[in-house]
Amino acid sequence: MTHKNEFEVQEKLPAKSVTRRSFLKGATAISAAASVAWATKSTASAQQDFSEEEKLVASIIDLNACDGCENEPTPLCVTACKDKNKHRFPQPEEEPMDYWPRQHHEDWSKEQDRTDRLTPYNWTYVEQVTVNHNGQEKTISIPRRCMHCLDAPCQNLCPFGVIGKTEEGAVHIDEYFCMGGAKCRDSCPWDIPQRQAGVGVYMDLMPKLGGGGVMYKCDMCADYLKEGKAPACETACPKDAIQFGPLDEMRKKAYELASERNGYVYGDTENAGTLTFYISDIPFDQINEAIAASKHQDQDERPGRPHMEPDIENMLDTAKGFMLATLIAPVAGAAAAGVNAYRKLKSYDDTKIRKDVSYDE
Amino acid sequence: MSNKTKANRILRHPVSNRVVHWLTAFSIVMLIITGLGQLPLYGRYLLVQPPGTQWLTNYEATLLVHYIFAILLLFIVTYHLIYHLIRKEFDILPRKGDVKGSIAILKAMILRKKEPPSDKYLPEQRLTYAYFFVAIGLAVVTGVIKVIKNVIGVQASDGVLLWAAQLHNLATVLIIVGVIMHLGAFIVKENRKLLSGMFTGYVDKHYVKERHTHWYKRIKHKDKKFDV
Repeated sequence: MTHKNEFEVQEKLPAKSVTRRSFLKGATAISAAASVAWATKSTASAQQDFSEEEKLVASIIDLNACDGCENEPTPLCVTACKDKNKHRFPQPEEEPMDYWPRQHHEDWSKEQDRTDRLTPYNWTYVEQVTVNHNGQEKTISIPRRCMHCLDAPCQNLCPFGVIGKTEEGAVHIDEYFCMGGAKCRDSCPWDIPQRQAGVGVYMDLMPKLGGGGVMYKCDMCADYLKEGKAPACETACPKDAIQFGPLDEMRKKAYELASERNGYVYGDTENAGTLTFYISDIPFDQINEAIAASKHQDQDERPGRPHMEPDIENMLDTAKGFMLATLIAPVAGAAAAGVNAYRKLKSYDDTKIRKDVSYDE
Repeated sequence: MSNKTKANRILRHPVSNRVVHWLTAFSIVMLIITGLGQLPLYGRYLLVQPPGTQWLTNYEATLLVHYIFAILLLFIVTYHLIYHLIRKEFDILPRKGDVKGSIAILKAMILRKKEPPSDKYLPEQRLTYAYFFVAIGLAVVTGVIKVIKNVIGVQASDGVLLWAAQLHNLATVLIIVGVIMHLGAFIVKENRKLLSGMFTGYVDKHYVKERHTHWYKRIKHKDKKFDV
């Protein structure tokens, strides 16, 4: 989204074809509604699903255009993100305690100025790697941050249900109620959310025994989106390498650009679909290898420098057969009970079982 | 060993009840173990990982095992409810005066006096059943919502996610407390005579006559009526 107006006056979207996703969504919604009456967006009619999907905002990150702001000390998207969100950055009041009984804790408060990775104080960064493609060495700058997944495992698996999603699809962590267990980071294929110890609700509960801090990550400038404004990273980018807009429009444009350049798209199918589409002339498996090599060279094993593994699966996708089984289980239980009870009613007489009992008077 | 003869034992729990009880117990224990892994607890608190338990720190593995035992629990819970509904067996449902009755039994135990006579189930057993009904019911309803929201393509609202998670956690705590209370009941020597009922199905006739007097009279009357 290069202009504010694109959000204010959305173009009428083209008639929607039934994609695999929309089909699955509709089918699942029907089964869900049939089984449990619950008020979610999913159980609404297909028409409502479509209108809700129309509100989703996606982004294109053009790796051909991004040069990592080579003449700036820090990429401008990174600076803009830090400036915009600095009032939300964690400020531990005292030295954070270890995560008992472990002898460690995650504390980035002394490295608040770091811009070379994702931290609780840096929600986007630009990874720079050199790739040998078609016999030519090429340096690529890759702005990284939360991909804002369509089926976000971090949101679905948060044990306290404190990760939300806006109408625009921005996945956001409630920093006031997050316990900092870091499950969201572990369930995210890219380890995006980063933890700061010594802050958050656990400090008021059992800071020594339970809780680990608060998880932080990009929220797609959800407040700006609500106001119809562009996210800070897009506004700051001098190369128009970052562009936000309606999901369908962005997806279409990403594939068109990739097709024109004989390039590749990353983020549309990964983790069962995201709202971020990277486009590149260089295959993403090569970029992924280059990131891994760079991390290996730096002996960097900490989370905060995500991979770009193509076609990475959503961990919840493996559980897809279980919904049907969960719905069948009570039906099977009821059927078994019916058969057994009927059989007993026909033939069972408990007095026969006690025929040997001699009652005392 | 005379009390082991058929004449001195009364069937308290037919096979169906025992299967339901033990499968429920087993699935709940496994659901608690895997559920605590989902919280997550083991990665932090298990300093020494016992052999064969590495999978407990893997969310994907604990989630799948959690689903498997949730399916078993759903099957058993529905079976139990429908089976007793069809057979019109409602002995274990709480009755008016059960709170007072439980206090009276507790008082008798402490003061070492004779307990007031009970039916097939003691008043506190009926109250415990109601407690488990609410706790397991809450876990089942919120659990089913949690399964559905995990399906790819389903987007639950923030409110559903928040309340399903919080109430599922609350139900887990209630169930753990309930299991502790349930097992704690066997600290009382008198209650241990009920244990055989859940293993063999039978309990001692004299115990039934002394403590579950109303039930004893009922089955005696029924059996005499049929001239057994």
